[in-house]
Amino acid sequence: MAEGWRALFRRRLPGTNLTIGDVPLWAAGGFVAILWGLPFVWMVSTSLKPAGQVMTRDVEWLPREVIFDNYIKILTQYPIARWAFNSLVVAGVATALCVLFGAMAGYALARLRFRGRDALFALFLASIMIPIEVAVVPLLLAFIKAGLASTYAALILPTIANVFAVYIFRQFFLTFPAELEEAAIIDGAGRIAIFFRIALPLARAPAIAATVIIFTLNWNNFLWPLLITFDESMKTMPVGIAAFAPVVGTHTQLEGFAVAMAAVTLLCIPSVLLFLLLQKHFLRGISSGAIKA
Amino acid sequence: MTGGRGRNDPSGYLLVAFFTVPFLLFTVAPLLFGVYIAFTEWGIIGAPRWVGLANFREALADPWVANAFRNVVRYALIIVPGVTVLAFLFALYVHQRWPLSTLARTLFFTPNVVSATVIGLVWVWILDTQFGVLNHYLGLLGIPRIPWLTSPDWSLTGVALASIWWDLGLAFVLFLAALQDVPEDLYDAAAIDGASRLRQLWHVTLPQLRPVISMVVTLQLIATMRIFSQVYVMTNGAPVGSSASPVHYIYQVSIVQYRLGYAAAISVLLFLLIVLVTILQRLLLRERVRG
Repeated sequence: MAEGWRALFRRRLPGTNLTIGDVPLWAAGGFVAILWGLPFVWMVSTSLKPAGQVMTRDVEWLPREVIFDNYIKILTQYPIARWAFNSLVVAGVATALCVLFGAMAGYALARLRFRGRDALFALFLASIMIPIEVAVVPLLLAFIKAGLASTYAALILPTIANVFAVYIFRQFFLTFPAELEEAAIIDGAGRIAIFFRIALPLARAPAIAATVIIFTLNWNNFLWPLLITFDESMKTMPVGIAAFAPVVGTHTQLEGFAVAMAAVTLLCIPSVLLFLLLQKHFLRGISSGAIKA
Repeated sequence: MTGGRGRNDPSGYLLVAFFTVPFLLFTVAPLLFGVYIAFTEWGIIGAPRWVGLANFREALADPWVANAFRNVVRYALIIVPGVTVLAFLFALYVHQRWPLSTLARTLFFTPNVVSATVIGLVWVWILDTQFGVLNHYLGLLGIPRIPWLTSPDWSLTGVALASIWWDLGLAFVLFLAALQDVPEDLYDAAAIDGASRLRQLWHVTLPQLRPVISMVVTLQLIATMRIFSQVYVMTNGAPVGSSASPVHYIYQVSIVQYRLGYAAAISVLLFLLIVLVTILQRLLLRERVRG
């Protein structure tokens, strides 16, 4: 009889690798996964509620009525469009430069021989251990003294040298087939031409991974934009919206949590969308890079 | 600029320069410059004045510095084990490839791609004492309302909870990738020996994952020692500095008080602490960190 039970527990549900005995564990894990996603549900749900239905006695996971007033309010009464534009310019330009320079350096470090190459790469890797916070005060001083505070240059420049980009391209080019380069060398092409005409166009996978990961990092960047922008119109989106935090500004006391949740929902959209669309590239990039940039 | 295959290819320097110049200017130079500033008194206006070790002496006697460094140890004691253990369990779960495991993977990772402002504001709302979701459900279990972010006893825990939710994704992905790399035949051999799944976990999975566990702990420890943005958004260090971190205090000293020399000195102390912790941690786990 016991054998019969055991056999039943080991039977797989059709079309899956889930055995009957595993069902409770599967359900419990699924419950935790749903729990993990609930803060997002609560954020979006709150953002769609009328002000009077936000602070309720019981938790109301779904709005009684869906309204978009909070979004209209945030878009019309706050400079959020301007902040979004700033963030797009800063994260866009910084990411493009960072990926291009990372690809060039990664290619050179993987494929070319030149004196000091390995020492240089070791220096890059060692710098990962340096917390950016140590560099922040001197950078702040330098940019203020140079008269560059609250400018796009100040927001972009310190973020364009990201070792992660170099690393991910170097890994890719280490296994790049040499025959592809040799043919071009025989034709008399220079190394730089080979990089742009042959190597870079074939480096789609690391380029996508580096772009999505670095764009997300830049989009979410907080400490440096907070320090270097003194002008409301030059704030990036995360820093501008941070004024909705009750400890930072007074917006939430005035407007309530529904408007604040509408603001952060808008702030989520680019990075979450990018992640959901390019999830495989994103996750593979992170685990192959395996360094926190 | 002909392509040579000789020992020294000058085009390498050109290709590397575009990265190296900003790297030297915005990473290496500020670091060295910062060490210099730490020995000066320097405001936004005026020239630096050499003050020797005065900033460091002041920092070591400053009760707010001591408070911030004490707090960062408390943050690490909650966040590092929290992230490591949960991420490991979540990765084990997703690795089973049971139905809907891709969806679970997405749910576990997504918080990692949003900004600190999102994390901070959403959790300020969840942890609200009066109307917060968390206190509501704790109330159903008979637990009285907890003033998560407004009491000195709880504020650090409140920020740490949000940080675990935010940070977990990276550790989760690293564990998941490592689990996929464990050779299948190790499990097969263990199964033939009649080892139960728990014993396989203990004798096969954990030893195989040792390097990645070490890497996760190191990365999370460093990230936690630099904790700032969620603190700024959720509590701004309040009440009475009970959730303030070293970087938060550096921010206050530099931006609110404009004492850049003093702020740089505290940064140098934090840097030294991070280096020390990294070395100790590597010696203890005696595994080389990949990357």
